[in-house]
Amino acid sequence: MKNNKKWVQYIILILFVVIAGVTLFSGVLSTDEVPEVGNFAPDFSLKGLDGQVYQLSDFEGKPVVVNFWGSFCEPCVREMPAIEDIYNKYQSKDLIILGVNLDEPEVTVQSFVNQVGVTFPILLDKNIVSDQYDVRYYPTTYFIDANGIIMEKKIGEMSESYLIQTVNKLIAVKE
Amino acid sequence: MIQNTKCECGHQNPVNTVLCESCGKPLIEDQSMETLEMRYDGAVRRSQRENKTIIDRVWSFFSSVKVAIYLIFFTLCGASLGTIYPQESTFINIDPSTYYPETYGTMGSIYYMLGLSHTYETWWFKLLLIMIGTSLVICSLDRVLPLYRALNKQKIRKHDQFIRRQKVVYTGDIKEIQNEKDAELWVNEFSGILKKKFYRVTTDGRSLLAEKNRFSRWGPYINHIGLIIFLLAVLLRLIVSPWYMEEYISVLDGEIEQIPGTNYYVENERFIVEFYSEDELSEKTVEKGKIIPKLFATEAVLYECVKNCNDPIKDPVLEEVKKHSIQVNEPLEYEGLLIYQMGYEETPILNSVNATLKNRESNEEYGQFILEMDNPKSTYEVGDYQLELIGYYPDFTFINGEAGTKSSKPNTPAFIFSIHGPGMPDKGEINMYFPLPQHKVTYQEDQINIAAGSTLVIDVESMQDVDFSLYTSFLSARKDTILPMIWIGLSISMIGLILGFYWNHRRIWLKFNKNQLLLGAHSNKNWFGLRKEVAQALHKSGIEVEAKSLENEVKDS
Repeated sequence: MKNNKKWVQYIILILFVVIAGVTLFSGVLSTDEVPEVGNFAPDFSLKGLDGQVYQLSDFEGKPVVVNFWGSFCEPCVREMPAIEDIYNKYQSKDLIILGVNLDEPEVTVQSFVNQVGVTFPILLDKNIVSDQYDVRYYPTTYFIDANGIIMEKKIGEMSESYLIQTVNKLIAVKE
Repeated sequence: MIQNTKCECGHQNPVNTVLCESCGKPLIEDQSMETLEMRYDGAVRRSQRENKTIIDRVWSFFSSVKVAIYLIFFTLCGASLGTIYPQESTFINIDPSTYYPETYGTMGSIYYMLGLSHTYETWWFKLLLIMIGTSLVICSLDRVLPLYRALNKQKIRKHDQFIRRQKVVYTGDIKEIQNEKDAELWVNEFSGILKKKFYRVTTDGRSLLAEKNRFSRWGPYINHIGLIIFLLAVLLRLIVSPWYMEEYISVLDGEIEQIPGTNYYVENERFIVEFYSEDELSEKTVEKGKIIPKLFATEAVLYECVKNCNDPIKDPVLEEVKKHSIQVNEPLEYEGLLIYQMGYEETPILNSVNATLKNRESNEEYGQFILEMDNPKSTYEVGDYQLELIGYYPDFTFINGEAGTKSSKPNTPAFIFSIHGPGMPDKGEINMYFPLPQHKVTYQEDQINIAAGSTLVIDVESMQDVDFSLYTSFLSARKDTILPMIWIGLSISMIGLILGFYWNHRRIWLKFNKNQLLLGAHSNKNWFGLRKEVAQALHKSGIEVEAKSLENEVKDS
């Protein structure tokens, strides 16, 4: 009889510890939703300007640079040739570059791409992936290593030398 | 020191028992005749037991009402901190790390740094809620179980001291009673009187126990069960996100937007706003030049995606599920989803134009086509001509001498077409088109096109061919699966409160020592009512006594 009561006591206390744990832990998880350096890059799938579907997880095992840009953003426009340059130089080293456009009309994107001569895949986003990646300032660039982990997050315009340096670090990460 | 816990009636009581569980004799030896502490009928609570382990200590900590009051006090203080500045969750689109310092200065940045901008999601606030919950459960169990046991196995014959030290007492000799038989008869008669007053009476020879409204003792515990359900519901809301959703959507007049995280889309078919006229407003308001809306409503259509919902290539297939004019306090309701009107903003923006293709010289019309600002097509067929859209600048400007766009909003839309068809050059004739007349002038559309050798003109015939959106409607979508649980919790809590407030548990003990009548009564509240009832009952059995005189005065021994 007495032992029985003890059990009830233990069960109730354990129950509360569990509830407390779950609540606090879920709180920690939910505030961590914004992808930070060191986190896994959230997967996404978007339609490209070429009509194909691009899914981030398809590039597992390869380093990926995700650049959020818009033709209305001057620094994005300025850094575009540098990114194109890197794309051409590092294509042989399996580097993937995805340019995620920030909800512009397809025609606008297409004419810009033609004008600048961009050859890497340009993806059309309806503010869904940019929200997912917490993009508040343009341009924002994520460097994701071969293991799918965010190695670097750059807000603002990138110079070619910065790009070379970061990409070199990125491709040095092996699976 | 081992306390002797055996009562003289032979009952073995747990350590720290105040009144013998069986006969009610006070176990703490004091000679005073003060009225007894009747809480939980003197039974020992689990938290008061000896030989405490760590678990027992934790248990006693949470079983203390004092601790519970402190916990509630701290929670209230914490909750009030969250009301100093608006919480993050009340804004649609801000960066809290810059918003608070910019709006509220140093206090704002301290507020943000301490995490008070999301007080109700902080770990310490949740922990306080959980601790209150723990305290509620343990406080209740710690008290309700001994009380239940004590009330469930009450002895009819109580110790003299127990009866004499009640708050309502009557003692007196009744001359007519000569023997035990007379006393039993008297008790039986008195039992009949009490039964008429809805008491449940049990007798044991010359002793009597009458009781009514015992259920009211469970009121506080039922109230606690309700509160626990309520607290659990609040916690579940925080933990299980699909059960509780709150999203803000801004929809331009005439547009469809997806409600984030759901398969629902909401269309703002038409936004209506009516303003107060000047004679409806006070002079002061008119002087200030304020325009105050009388009514604003979104004529909304709710769609559910039925096919290609998360397909990046294909457009989703939508099915209309509900139509409603959303106004403040009149949300659109669909299967637990509630869409409220939050506000609106005047955001005049061009949606589309119904443009006409004409000959520059003869003004001959070749046909019309609808040109959308949001996502124009890449080619248009107009009569015999094919218009290829090779450039679109929603917010046209010159960046370093080249055509560019300032934003993705169609504030200054500009189109560049390459036109193919009869009489056109092989590469196509280039035509620049500004849909809005003021931009045609600023950027000299005609001069540019003529210089490029264009023979065609794109233009709108009248303002009826121009589709504007004037307002953006701000809506909030809420889904709260847990709301019924909250209501159930609060209802149970209310039932508990009513039981405890409007009824009281009354008990009367009576026994005869020879011809001396010994009567004690106890109630958990409304002593006045109890005294009156006892006096009435005694009156009916021939004993005249003032209700007031039944009150047990503290006597010095």
